This record gives sequence, structure tokens and C-alpha cells, in this order.
Amino acid sequence: MSSVSAGASRSTLQRFLGGYGQEIVVLLSIVALFIVVGFVNPRFLSDTNINSIFAGNAYIAIAAIGMSMIIIAGHIDVSVGAMIGVIATIAGTLAVAGYPVWIAWSVPILFSIVVSAGTGALVAYTRIPSIVVTLGMLSILKGGLISATDGAWISNMPPEFMIAQMRPFGIPSAVYFMVALTILAALFMRYTDFGRAIYAVGGNMEAARAAGINPERSVIGVFALHGLFTGVAGILFATQLQVIQSTVPPNLELTVITASVIGGVSILGGTGTVIGSTLAAILFACIGSALIFLNVSAYWLRAVLGLLILATVLADMARRRRAQ
Amino acid sequence: MNSKDVERADGATHAHALPIALRGVSKSFAGIKVVTQVSFDIRPGEVHALMGENGAGKSTMIKIMAGLHQADEGEILINGQPVRFASPRDAHAAGIATVHQELLLFPELTVAENIFLGQTPKTGLGTIDWQAMRARARELLDSLDSGDLDIDQKVASLSVGNRQRIEIARALAQDARVLIMDEPTAALAEADVQRLMAIVRSLRARGVAIVYVSHRMPEIFALADRVTVLRDGHHVATKNVSEVDEPQLVSMMVGRAIDRLYPAKQGVDGEVILELRDVSYRGVIRGISLKLKRGEILGLAGLVGSGRTETALTVFGITPATSGQIVIDGKPEHISSPEAARDLGIAYVPEDRGQQGLIRSQTIEDNIALANLKRLMRGFMVDAAKVTAEARKAIERFGIRARGPQQLVRQLSGGNQQKVVLGKWLATNPRILIMDEPTRGIDVGAKAEIHQLMRKLAGEGMAILMISSELPEVLGMSDRVLVMNSGRIVGEFDRQAATAEAVGTAMTRSYSREDAA
Amino acid sequence: MTASKLLRHETILAVLTIIALAVLASLSDKFFTAENLLNQGRLMSEVGLVALAMTFVIVTGGIDLSVGSILGLTAILLGVFWKNLGLPLPLAIAGALACGTFAGWVNGFIITRFSVPPLIATLATLALYRGLAEGISEARSVRGYPEWFYVFGQGEILGVPFQLWILGIATVVSAVILGLTPFGRATYAIGANETAARFSGIRVHATKLWIYTAAGFVSALAAVIFVSRVTTTRSDMGTGLELDVITGVVLGGTSIFGGRGTIIGTVLGLILIQALKNGLALSGVKGDGTIVVIGLVLIGAILIGAMFDKNRGG
Repeated sequence: MSSVSAGASRSTLQRFLGGYGQEIVVLLSIVALFIVVGFVNPRFLSDTNINSIFAGNAYIAIAAIGMSMIIIAGHIDVSVGAMIGVIATIAGTLAVAGYPVWIAWSVPILFSIVVSAGTGALVAYTRIPSIVVTLGMLSILKGGLISATDGAWISNMPPEFMIAQMRPFGIPSAVYFMVALTILAALFMRYTDFGRAIYAVGGNMEAARAAGINPERSVIGVFALHGLFTGVAGILFATQLQVIQSTVPPNLELTVITASVIGGVSILGGTGTVIGSTLAAILFACIGSALIFLNVSAYWLRAVLGLLILATVLADMARRRRAQ
Repeated sequence: MNSKDVERADGATHAHALPIALRGVSKSFAGIKVVTQVSFDIRPGEVHALMGENGAGKSTMIKIMAGLHQADEGEILINGQPVRFASPRDAHAAGIATVHQELLLFPELTVAENIFLGQTPKTGLGTIDWQAMRARARELLDSLDSGDLDIDQKVASLSVGNRQRIEIARALAQDARVLIMDEPTAALAEADVQRLMAIVRSLRARGVAIVYVSHRMPEIFALADRVTVLRDGHHVATKNVSEVDEPQLVSMMVGRAIDRLYPAKQGVDGEVILELRDVSYRGVIRGISLKLKRGEILGLAGLVGSGRTETALTVFGITPATSGQIVIDGKPEHISSPEAARDLGIAYVPEDRGQQGLIRSQTIEDNIALANLKRLMRGFMVDAAKVTAEARKAIERFGIRARGPQQLVRQLSGGNQQKVVLGKWLATNPRILIMDEPTRGIDVGAKAEIHQLMRKLAGEGMAILMISSELPEVLGMSDRVLVMNSGRIVGEFDRQAATAEAVGTAMTRSYSREDAA
Repeated sequence: MTASKLLRHETILAVLTIIALAVLASLSDKFFTAENLLNQGRLMSEVGLVALAMTFVIVTGGIDLSVGSILGLTAILLGVFWKNLGLPLPLAIAGALACGTFAGWVNGFIITRFSVPPLIATLATLALYRGLAEGISEARSVRGYPEWFYVFGQGEILGVPFQLWILGIATVVSAVILGLTPFGRATYAIGANETAARFSGIRVHATKLWIYTAAGFVSALAAVIFVSRVTTTRSDMGTGLELDVITGVVLGGTSIFGGRGTIIGTVLGLILIQALKNGLALSGVKGDGTIVVIGLVLIGAILIGAMFDKNRGG
């Protein structure tokens, strides 16, 4: 409980390490994974594999950015997977029906923003835990999707619609999206009042109110923003393969939430960065891929994820207890 | 408009320079008047102490000034202009900042950001200018002689004293002209108290007016220029500190003659039933030794944070002792949980009735049954008839005014709620009764009833350990008084020796190094 | 607990259920047949069993999202113990039940020992237990159980499905525990005000640990019945079970904030949902459309509950 009195100001490096501890751990894990697995099986380092790791999972990283904001604000959204499925289906249907591609892209994104903001309003004003509201949302979206499409696959989408498959300068466009959105979101979270309000609301709701922040409006705002990221993720998901399966990708919400948590976002709210969640999403993709290249059954992937969440949460609790 | 003319008559320049003036302020809660016609001024560059016993109306006055409550009558003048604060934001805008007892900070954000949140410096693009923010935070903390605070540190890992300095810096960042400090030293270690006092002096030198709420006499005499005393919601006097001494202040705060109101002792003390031998819990209470006899009311006096409640919690098994021995009826016992304490015949009527004492959303009978479930069973089930009968017994015995055993506790008045807590614990047939602030937030009539009841219980052989922040209650009820200060017992007084001056001095003295008693 | 006050929600619910049953009966003459009703009872048994324990969990102010995963894990272990380890089936059943119960205990341990919020703790174990089920099974299913095993899921006693007897007994037992015993009182007290409960000498941690362990046990029991009913084990069994269970409990009047709720309410909530599902199916709505209804009903029930709370005032 003694005050820190070492040096008036720490060096820039120290500050950086202190602020991004978890992110650095995740980054080093990725590097270590590449070295070790690449050593055991060099094919792991092939262009094709690396491309598929990054491009194939960019949508998860993008969804995890929005999820991180939600969790930093002290909430959670378990309907994100179902929402991505719905967005993909709406987009694909519009594209096949012959609408201009910008409509096929933007209408589902708008839908996602509106629905998510509505969820946020429900959470903010009724004080019902977000897990329960989004659990209800999950079943509405999932059931609605399956009963509307009957599980029929969508194919024959126009080539100009397939944005995730475009490769400007030889790099999959999904990677551009992932990098750009991560940087934008990181800047937004750090350099705008709204970004800081998200941290404040998640950290201490009453203190936020006393500091002149409107917590309800902030919660609705952060849900709307999350809707935007989910929307973009949904479009990338829709366009990365030649068919859209019109189902909810299994356990997607869990992967997204885990990426946020492992990336250093405290599940109790108030702290974390979006860079961490993107890195963690990449780490998962690497782990999944590595299991295959190491001849370990991919069926263990989720157990590994579960253990990772549990370990991270326990470490977070221990850290908070020490801090008190 | 009329009042303005009065100000003019007093001297217009003077009235305009007053950062805050209160005129005939009254406030009621649920029909009970807690503040009646209070008027005083705060001058620029003064430390104005606000004193009074618990329940005297200090915190209500602070909350009115901070915009958290709105006065029913009277007005607040800022620079001579009447204002009305609808929210804390309005008060901020008028230059009034508050350092609350429960510090309102964001644990996961840095020191710099905590200081500026809500009014961050901006760059030309409208984004947050972190460099400017850190530089200004640095500057502000340096001006508070707190250059050792790391502005990039997360607040979660800081001590209470450091957090308080951040709140003060936050107030300065808002250009506050009035800074209200609510018992700022209650939770501070001695070194931090000295630092805080230095900071308060430097703020005064800059022309900031400080409203300083504290019970600690040495601080008042060392810091304050003027002092306003409140009693039972009324304004007693505002004086220059140089014109009063400690006994005068105490008698202004206490006011009434003490002895007459309290019931006389019945019967004689029996053998020792509870003994603490050198009991400590972490660093919170240190080396506590005391003896409690049957039929005795032992008063435990001290300021908030002096370790009184913490001692009770240790005896009751909430925070089991980390060293020392607790002896009951001559047998050393390890009390590791409230359940164990109850089974040893210890009952604890807690300080915070709403949070710790009662389940307010449940009925009277549910609450009374909760500590007595084992006794109220038939087979392996709870016997509803026995529960209701037990509740009826308590309602009758303590005169609880309720529609019946099935009334919800939250619908009862404070005094009746307290009687439900008592009913719950006396139904366990305890031999040792610990009462923490037994009459806090209770009206005068119910207070007297509870005092009568305590005397009667003691007369029947109950050993009572009473914790109270109200000096008259301590002096009037106790057969013996122990005074705690900084986690230790620093004085023991029998009924004759326990005067307001003696006990008050022991409570408020700073014990920096020397070990007492 | 005063019966008059707490039963108000249950009364409304009972009336609603009767109306729903009447409407559904008039829409389809297949609905109100003994055969259909008993079959529906069979279908709701697994969810019902878990919902009984979930009522306790939610009354303490907690939640358990991992019940579906525990069901899946137990089912897989049952198959593995029997087929891969070659244990006699009764022993395999006992072993699987023990593992499921232990999984519930782990939840309770994490929640009470490390003060992890129940939501987070069970979200993590939801992934962990399902992951273990997937990893152990590697997508292989186990079939070909001996004939006697199918009694649990398909058999009948006196014309009533076997599992409905179990559900009935479990309902009575849990209603008695929650409504009439000191344990039940402690459960309500913890949910209404944990601090006051502790200060009254209630063993808060022990009570919670028992409750989460019991949730693990009933999930495991539901797994055995489920496997017996569908004659096979797969690792994705019970996916989404938590949603159905929580919906039933909340619809039954248990406050998501803790401190209030009854077993009768939960049972009524379950019946209403099952009736809606069945009725919608009979009137031509496809299976997945009914999930939408459950989601809407869940949010609606909580909204109404929140309004109730506001009207009651602090």
C-alpha cells in the first residue's frame, strides 16, 4: 500500500512496457509459435499457410475489436456470432438479387448497427445484465436466420461483391481491413473523449457520472460502434468463400470473446486495448493452424481456448486483488 | 432581491467576494428535518472547519453545497448571486469541488487521466492532447508538492493518501475556488496527514477557500481559520479558531447535559466472560487486550477508522484474528466465522443496518429467523409456525411498530428496523452482545427505548460491548470506556473519570510514535 | 416467504399457461392428446432437471452458462468409459455422473474461492468442458448400448415416461429444499443481500458450492437420460441448453438479480415454453422458428420483471 516514489517519471520504454504488458506477451507468443512450429514443420511458414492464417481470420479480429470495446465498457455480447451469420446472409441475398454491391455491403452493416444500438439501449436503461439480453438476441437472430433461409446456401454471387477475395498488391484485402480498423480503433480509443468515456464507464459508472459523462448514452454508443465492427466482419465473412452457408458459424462468439480477453481486456471492464484483441485473434488462428501442422487433433482447440480464458481471468483477479 | 439589499448594507464589495454563502438553508428527509435554518459564509483563502457530532447535519450541508442534494428552504449565494444546483455539474461550473470520503476515481486509468477526465486538453484536431495533459498533470502535482507521484501509474495500485492528492489535483484542474474536504484524514496514515495539511495550507495561500470537515481537534487548531459548529441540524456558532479552545468546541458540539437522559445502571457486574489478549488483525488492529464482564456495558470510543468496528468484526469472526487470543468463559476459542461466533453466544448488531444487518427486501419474520434457523426447525424443515411465533415474540418484546410479522423490513422506520436486528440476535440467546452504533439514524424517542433496553439486558446479566461515535451516548451509557486510536487501545476510563474532555482528547490526539496504554 | 406475495407472479403464469394450452388445443386436435402431452413431458425432462438447479443458482444472484457443456462432456465420458475403457455400463454411468458433478464443483470452487463473477467463470468453463468433450470424442459417436439402458430415455412406468418420474421426484425434492428448509432460506438470503446473510451466520461459500455442484450433477443426470433417449453420444449434445434453461427459470418469475423465485414458477415457465414450441410446431412453424419465440419470450419476461421491480420501489 505504499506509494510508488521511484523516480518522478518513468522512461518511455518503461511506460510502454507497463501499458502494453499483455499485448507484448501475446505478440511474443505468436513469434515463438512461428519459430517452434516452423522448425518442426517448415510448411507452416509457407506463403499459402501464412496468408490463410491472416486473411482467413481477419473477420474474427475485426469482430474482436468491437467486442473489446463492449467488454471495456463493462458489458458483453454473446450474439455476435449469430449476427455475423445474419449479416452474411442478408448481404449475399442482396448481391444475388442484383442490387448494386454498395447496397449489398452497407444495408447489412446498417442493420447490425441499429440492432446492436437497440440492444445497448435495452441494457443501458433497464439495467438488465447484457449477457441475458444478448442471449435472447442470440436465439432471435439464430432462429430467425434458419427459419428464413431454411439453411439454403447462397452461391453465384457477382465477383465484384467478393471484397474479401480481392488482393491489392498481392495481399488479401481482409488483411488491409484488419490492420486499418485496428489502428483506427486504437487511435479512437486513445484520442477521443468518447473513447475515454468507454474506459470510464467500465471502470466506475458512478464516478463517470460525477465527471460529467452520461453513462447510458455511452453504453448505447459503444454498442452501436460494436455493431459497425460486427457488420464489417460479417461482410468479410460473407465474401471470403464462394458460398454462404446461411447458418450461424459455430462458437464464433466464444472465439471473439476469448480473443478480447486474452488480448488483455479485463472481463470486469475498464481496461484493455483493441490492439491486444487483434493480436490474440491472430494467435488463435496460429494455434489452430499449428495444431494441424503438429499433427495434434484440432478437436482440442476449444479446450485450449477454454483453459486460456480461465487462466487469464484468474490472473486478472489475482492482479486486481494485489492492486487493492 | 431583499437579501441583496441586506448584503449591500453589510458592504457590497465584501458580499461579492464571498465564494459561497449559505442563507437560512433547511433540508428534510422523509419528513424529518436534518438541517434547520443554517447560515454561514466561506471567505476566499480561508480554511473553514465544519464540526459537529454524527447526525449533526454536516454531511447534508456538504452535499447541498456540492449539488448532490437540493435545499428545501434558504439560498446559496456564489459571489453574491443566488444560485440553484440541480446536479454536481452545476456546482463544478460554479467553482465548487469536493473530495469525497469514498474517492471517486477510475482504478484502471492513469493518474494524469484521472485528473483531467471529462475536461481533457485537446489538440487542434479536437483529439485528446496526451502530451499537454501529462505536462499539466505533472505541473499540478508539482504545485501540490507531490512530484513523487508517477503520472503514468494506474490509480489502482496507489495508496489512499496518493489517491486523495489526485482528487485534490482534479479539483484544481477544474479551477475550483471552493474545495470541500469530507473527513480527509479519516483513512490516512500519520505521514500522509502531515502532507495533506501542507497541501491545504498551500491551497489557502493561493486563495482557495477550503471547507474542512474533521473530528480531529489537533488538525482543526493547526489548520483552520474559522470554525462553524452544527448540532442537531442547527447552526450553533461560527468563530475564529483563535478565539476558542478545545473544551469550548466540545461543549458547543455536545451541548446538552449528558447524564440525565440515560437510564441508570441496574445490578452489579459479574465475572469476566470475554477476554481479548493481545489480539491483532493484519495491521488494522494491533495488540488489543480487553476484558468484558457480565452485566457490564463497555463503551468503545474512537474516531471513524480508529479500529473499533474492526475489533468487533474480529471478535465476531468476519475477519478472524491473525494473532493473539480470544478467551470466552476462561476458554481460549478460535472464532473463524460468524457462525462460530454465534454458536459461542456472541451477537453482533452491525453499524450498517441496511447492508449488514438486514435483508430489507424480506419480511420481519424472515430476518429474525435467519440467525436462528437451527432452533426453528421441525425435522429437517423450517417450521413456519415457529418462525411466525418467534417474530411475534420479538415484535411484542421490543415494541416493534409493524403491521405484523409478514411486513417487509424496508417499510419500517429506522428505529424499528434496528429493533428487528436486535430481535434477530437476541433470539439466539447470546451472552455477549456487540452493538456497533446502536442508535445511528434513529429518532430521539426510539433512541431512548433502545438505551432502556440495553440497560435492562445488562441488568439481566448480558455483557454488552458498545461502539459509538456519539460522545454523549458513550459517556451516558457506558460503565467503563475504552478509547481506540490508530488501531490501538489508548485509554481506559471508569464512569467517574470518563468526561467529555478526557475521552475526547484521547480520541483526537495524534499518536505518531509513542505507544499508549 | 409469504405465500400471498410470492405466488402472484406464479398465479399470472398459471393463468397464462392455461390460456396457451387452451388456444393450442383449439388450433390443433393433435395437441391435447395424452400421447402428445406425455411425449412433450419426455422432451422437456432434460431441460427441466437442469432448470431446477438453475433456479437455486439464479436465486443466489448467480448464473451457470456451462450446464450444456457439462451435459455434453458427461455424455461423451459415458461413451468413453463404456466403449473405450470397457467398464461395465452401470459403472460407466456412475463414473460419468461423478465427473459431471465434479465439473459443477469446479465452477463453484472458482466462483467462491477466487471471487470470479459466476458469469465469467462459467463462460470460461462452457468453453473448457465443451472443448474437453470435443477433444476426447474427436467427433466419434458411440452407439449400440444394451437394450436395458434405453429405459431411462424411452421407457415408461405405469404409462408415464421414465424420465418424467425422475423430473417429478426432483421437482418435489427441490421445491421442498428451496421452500421449506434452512438451506433454501440461506439461498434466498444470499441472493437478496449476501453481506447481511454472512453477518447472520449463514455459510455463504458452502451454500454456493453445494448449489453449483448440484447444477453439475443434474446436468450429468440429464446427459444420461439424453443419451438413452437419442441412443447415441455426440460431443455437441446440449449445445444451447443454458438458453432454454435460463429462459424457463426467468419466465417462471425468478429475478435475474437474485433473491426471488420459486420452483413452481420454474416448472410453469418450462411447461409454457414447451407448450409454445409444440403448439407452433403442430401449427406448421418450423423447428428453428420456435427459437425466435424463446428469445422474445426471454427478453419480454425480463422486461416485465424489471417493470415489476420498479413498481415495487426501493
